[in-house]
Amino acid sequence: MADRMKNNKISIFYKLQIFLAFAAVAAVLLPVFLNDSHWPVFARDYLEANGEEQTGAANIVSSIYLGYRAYDTLGETIVLLVAVSGTIGIISFTGKNLATGYNEDDFEGGNRKNRKRTVLMEVVTGKLGPVILIFGLYVMLFGHMSPGGGFQGGVVIASGIIFISLGTGGSENNILSHSGVLAKIEAVSFLLLVLASAIGLITGIGFFANPFNGNPIPPVGYIILLNAMIGLKVGAGIAYMSVAMLGDTDL
Amino acid sequence: MITIILVLLIALSVFTLQHRDLLQGVVALSAFSLLSAMLFYMLRAPDVAITEAAVGAGVSTVIFVWAVKSTDRKDES
Amino acid sequence: MIDRILLLILFLIGFYGIIVKKNVIKKIFGLTILNSTIVMLFVLEGSKIGSHVPILEENITPIVDPVPQALMLTAIVIGVCVTALALSIVYRLFNSTGTFDIDEIRSKLYKDEE
Repeated sequence: MADRMKNNKISIFYKLQIFLAFAAVAAVLLPVFLNDSHWPVFARDYLEANGEEQTGAANIVSSIYLGYRAYDTLGETIVLLVAVSGTIGIISFTGKNLATGYNEDDFEGGNRKNRKRTVLMEVVTGKLGPVILIFGLYVMLFGHMSPGGGFQGGVVIASGIIFISLGTGGSENNILSHSGVLAKIEAVSFLLLVLASAIGLITGIGFFANPFNGNPIPPVGYIILLNAMIGLKVGAGIAYMSVAMLGDTDL
Repeated sequence: MITIILVLLIALSVFTLQHRDLLQGVVALSAFSLLSAMLFYMLRAPDVAITEAAVGAGVSTVIFVWAVKSTDRKDES
Repeated sequence: MIDRILLLILFLIGFYGIIVKKNVIKKIFGLTILNSTIVMLFVLEGSKIGSHVPILEENITPIVDPVPQALMLTAIVIGVCVTALALSIVYRLFNSTGTFDIDEIRSKLYKDEE
């Protein structure tokens, strides 16, 4: 292919192809980007009038993706699960490049390789990690009334676990950067999410319907429950992937 | 103000795609994500801003740095 | 209007990264830029009809449209999934061919057939 590219005629043809691709994309997207019609307001008006009353959450974004469109959220967590397991599977098929305990062939465990770590990074990341974990829990559990929610809090928690894993340097020292613990947290919280979505089936009001109606638990309890499940699942999954990738690299 | 941030985003994306050192490209992409999180905050979307800051500037950078460090850092072409 | 023209330029820069650049990692950079551009376009359009964040409080009436924000929240998380999966595939390609150049990868993988 590299020899063929030196041919002048084919090179002109290649540039023409690229130009045509740009022209086609610009011609398709120009009406989309320059569309100046008025944005519809009836969805906003309906949600502003009825959103808090029907789902119980003051944060309307959170009430959409956990109340009205909860199917999307379930599908999104499944996509995340598939992506994490596919990434780990693809890399560990050949890889000597994951952390100890994550590769397929040395699943017996063993001591993690000593990495190059400076005192500065150890102090900063190791001491900042628990603070980030607490902030992630706050973002996760208060998603119904302030900016935040399950996904955001989960990703912040994953950042905290990555910091702890970088700062303390290995699976011997803390339990959160151990491979089995994160995988089990992810699996159990996904199971709990599916069970929580099926509460409505048992009580006869439908899949993902809100089972709490005010006595004794207000309706916002269901949003908080789903936020906690999704946050644990997303955090454990992303932290599993990232800790496995960072394990053997001299950062 | 939004226009200024968009011009900065265009400059950062051109730097990301044109620079020879892939690790510096990753850092520029992280700055791109932070600037777009600021843009979302100014457009009154705090949920999207938190997600973009945590995902784009945090986790995505970790994955890119892993990929670049465990393979090849220079872009010869 | 000027904001949307700038967003179109940003989209075309990402598209340029995908189809012109030879390096595979730079193709993934282009993919990430495309994803961010679409998210910005939706949030920019949805913020035209209000002046407050979509968190209900007393006497705060014209909120922005929360529906594009909820959709884009999903899109960002799916975007990081796509990035992680693409990078793991690139890592496998580098391990088996030793290069990032897409032409060299093709010539090495299909050496026997040509």
